[in-house]
Amino acid sequence: MKKIALATLLVASLFGADHVINQKGKTFIPHEVTVKVGDTLTFLNSDPFAHNTYTDDEANEFDIGMQASGTKKTVTIKAPGQFSVECAIHPNMLLEVTAK
Amino acid sequence: MKLLLLALLATFAFAAQSQYALGETIYKTTCISCHGIDGNSQNDMKLVVKPRILSKSILTETQAYKIIKYGAHAYGSHADIMPTFKYVYSDIQIKAVAHYVSKTFNSHRDKRVENLLKESAQLEEKDRQEMMKVGKKIFQRKCGKCHGVSGNGESDYVEQSKSNQNFIYPYNLQKILLSEKQIFLYAKFGGKFWGTAKNDMPSWKKRYNDIQLKSVAHYVATQIKKNNKQKK
Repeated sequence: MKKIALATLLVASLFGADHVINQKGKTFIPHEVTVKVGDTLTFLNSDPFAHNTYTDDEANEFDIGMQASGTKKTVTIKAPGQFSVECAIHPNMLLEVTAK
Repeated sequence: MKLLLLALLATFAFAAQSQYALGETIYKTTCISCHGIDGNSQNDMKLVVKPRILSKSILTETQAYKIIKYGAHAYGSHADIMPTFKYVYSDIQIKAVAHYVSKTFNSHRDKRVENLLKESAQLEEKDRQEMMKVGKKIFQRKCGKCHGVSGNGESDYVEQSKSNQNFIYPYNLQKILLSEKQIFLYAKFGGKFWGTAKNDMPSWKKRYNDIQLKSVAHYVATQIKKNNKQKK
C-alpha cells in the first residue's frame, strides 16, 4: 500500500503544477492557495531580509530553513488537507493551503 | 510629636525635590543629546539604532537606574549604544536621573503595565503545568530564529542581516532585566509599543494567545536566564 502511495506521489510530482508564492513586505502573495497532491510550492523571497517558511501540519510538514533575500525554495505537497504555512520570524505572515 | 513628623515629611519632600532637580540638570546636559528634550528621541543624530522613546519604556525606575549605570550592553543589548555612566556620574546622580526620567516622561508606566496585565487572560492550574513545554516549543520554533536557541542573541538570521544591510540586534535574553510579566508584555505588544524606533521585535499577539505568550515568558525567565547563571 505504501509503495502505491509513493508511486502515486512520484508520478504526481512529475506532472504536478508549480505554484509560486512570493514573500514580499512580510506577507505571502497570494495568502491562499489551492493545490493538488504532487504539486509544488515555490517560495520566492523578494524582501531584502531572510524568511523561514514552515508548517507543522503532520502530513505535509516542512521547514525550508533560513531563506536569503532573492532566493527560491520549493516543496512538494504530499497529502490532501488544509493547513497553514507561517514564517518563523515574521508573525504576520500566514499562507492558507488547501491540498486536494 | 506632630512637629517632628512634619519636619520629617518636609525633609523627605525636600530630598525628593532636590533629587528631581539634580536628575533634571544631568538629563538636560547629557541624556538630552540622544533622548531629546521630551524623552521622545527626536534628534539630528544619524544613529544606526535610535534611542528608546522614554515615555513608552517598560522599565521601572530601579531598572532604568541599572541601565544608566551599567549600560544596555550589560543587560543583553547587542546594539551597544546606551553606554555605561558609572564612570561619569556618582550613584546618587544616576539614581537622580532615573528618578527624573521615570517621573517626567514615564509616570503613567505602572498603571499602564498593571492595566495590560489585568486585561490579559489569566492562567489556570492546567496552563501552569504545560507552561514549560509550550513555552519551549514556541521559543525554539520562533524566538530562537533571532535570539538563538540558547537565547544569547546570536543566530543565522542575525548573521544574514549583516550581509544585506538590514541589521537587527536581538537581545541576549540570558542577560535581560525584565521580569516574567514584563517579558510577556514585551512579546505580546512588540518593541515599538515599548519605545523602540524600529519594529524588529514584532508583536506576537495575532499569532499566539496570552496563555501561550505567558508560557514563552515563563520559559525565558526560568530556563533561558538560567543559561547565563550557569556561565557565571
